[in-house]
Amino acid sequence: MNPLLTLLQINDSVFPIGGFTHSYGLETYITKEIVQDSKSAEEYAVTLLEHNFYYNDAAFFSKAWELCVKRASQKKIAELDALVTVLKAPYEIREASRKLGLRFLKLTEKLHPVKRCSTYLKAISSHTLHGHYAIAFAMYAQALNISYQDALSAFYYNALNGMVTNCAKLVPISQMDAQQILFKLQPVIDRLVAEQPHLSDDLIGNCCVAQDIRCMQHEKLYTRIYIS
Amino acid sequence: MESVIQLHVGKEGTYSVLKESGHNAPYKLTHYGAPRLQEHLEMIIMSASPGIMDEDTLDIGIHMKPDTQLKLFTQSFNKLHPMKRGARQTTVAHIDDRAVFYYIPHPVTPFKDSIFKADNSIYLTGDAVLIWADIIAAGRIHMKEAFVFNSLHSTTKIYRNDTLILMDNQFLSPAKQPIKKLLFFEGYTHQATFLFSAPFAKELKAELDEILTLEYSDITYGFTQAADDIVMLRALGHDGELLYDFMGMLGQLCWDFTQHMQEERQLKQQADERKGENLVEAGVTESTNLKIEKLTGAEAVPEPTKKQTVKKKSNAAGNSVVKRSVKRKKALSSN
Repeated sequence: MNPLLTLLQINDSVFPIGGFTHSYGLETYITKEIVQDSKSAEEYAVTLLEHNFYYNDAAFFSKAWELCVKRASQKKIAELDALVTVLKAPYEIREASRKLGLRFLKLTEKLHPVKRCSTYLKAISSHTLHGHYAIAFAMYAQALNISYQDALSAFYYNALNGMVTNCAKLVPISQMDAQQILFKLQPVIDRLVAEQPHLSDDLIGNCCVAQDIRCMQHEKLYTRIYIS
Repeated sequence: MESVIQLHVGKEGTYSVLKESGHNAPYKLTHYGAPRLQEHLEMIIMSASPGIMDEDTLDIGIHMKPDTQLKLFTQSFNKLHPMKRGARQTTVAHIDDRAVFYYIPHPVTPFKDSIFKADNSIYLTGDAVLIWADIIAAGRIHMKEAFVFNSLHSTTKIYRNDTLILMDNQFLSPAKQPIKKLLFFEGYTHQATFLFSAPFAKELKAELDEILTLEYSDITYGFTQAADDIVMLRALGHDGELLYDFMGMLGQLCWDFTQHMQEERQLKQQADERKGENLVEAGVTESTNLKIEKLTGAEAVPEPTKKQTVKKKSNAAGNSVVKRSVKRKKALSSN
């Protein structure tokens, strides 16, 4: 398989795993008018990538990748899955990670089955493991010979793309502004990808308290367009 | 200074009592009021020091035997003084089956250049209950020392039956983070995290869904089912005392809820045991009747047994528990 084309397909925002149905707390920020224009949307996006995503989903991706490269046992994957579960405290965020991971594994199994992924899928389906999208994505991308840098860059890009698309729909900001944020933050993604392998283990899962609160408040929002 | 606080709680009759315990300077561990004023144990950690200094270490060890109950208090705000190398605090708590541990310390106030690492590990066994909170201030705000500490890293791990069920990792470093802005303090000066872990955490979440429905101008908060047996609430505010009172109010609510649920579970268990005994007896009567029926061809009418009378009484007891439960719910709502 062509690694680049595979990456483009599995990372596409319309890859039917339900990624577009989640805002990961952003909907609360917009409802409370904390994120209310292009400037605050960009500030939100940069801070989230640098101080939340880097320590959480990107770090989980990196750890899963490392395990796959080492051909670590399923037990190690199970330990990582359990760690991610206990770090994702807000219920909707934890469930979003499980649902996306499950759908991603079911879909990619039909495209090109990977033994490690099928085992992970079975464990999630039987409720032996919780299941997380970051682990599933890393596992599949690694097996299909996509490079670590490309896969992780795409993973960051997809998260940012989700944020600006949601801002374009909800704030709203113009499509032009959304695309400019996406383009302008390329150096941030490059830097974070380069730094990712050097993240200290004791900082994995570091939480941003207000972001957590907004994710929790989303459970009680009067009007909700997104699931999280 | 290297300090240690050891606290062991045992059971004597219906009372939770202090067993082999110890402390060293500058800390003092003492009863909070009269030792046997209530059935649960209330202790307070006091300190002769103005706060935590550079290179100070404090190791807190707690062990609670089954069915014991402890409320652990602190004396004042935990002040972290300016440092070059940093200070460390480790708390390890082992809470046995059905024991209840309540610990809501005063806020931590990090002064300019302070460096602090806190590691908390709580091991719950069986149906143990944890009521826990921590509050972090931006610093000495009125001394214009907000967000000028070096770093504050707090990690809390909760295990139940040796399985990790929650990990809260918070690293704060104003020089490295846009700490006053989005995703972090968002204009507030204090943050708080409240944790309730119990086999009936889902029931508490349902109560909170009904009680905590308002938004307040002084604080913003959110709560969630962080795991099957954990409810987490996080809050941001402008006032340490206010957040401390809010955490205390939640803690007391969870404490009362726990007493009620444990009482209800105990009554249910007793009722089930009686029901089991009734069934055994009913089974014997039934088989006897069948034999009579086979022999005579007539329908035998069983005599009411003593156990059946007891069962009726236990139902009456059950109804009064429900009534008490409703009363308590109403009281909580009105508070």
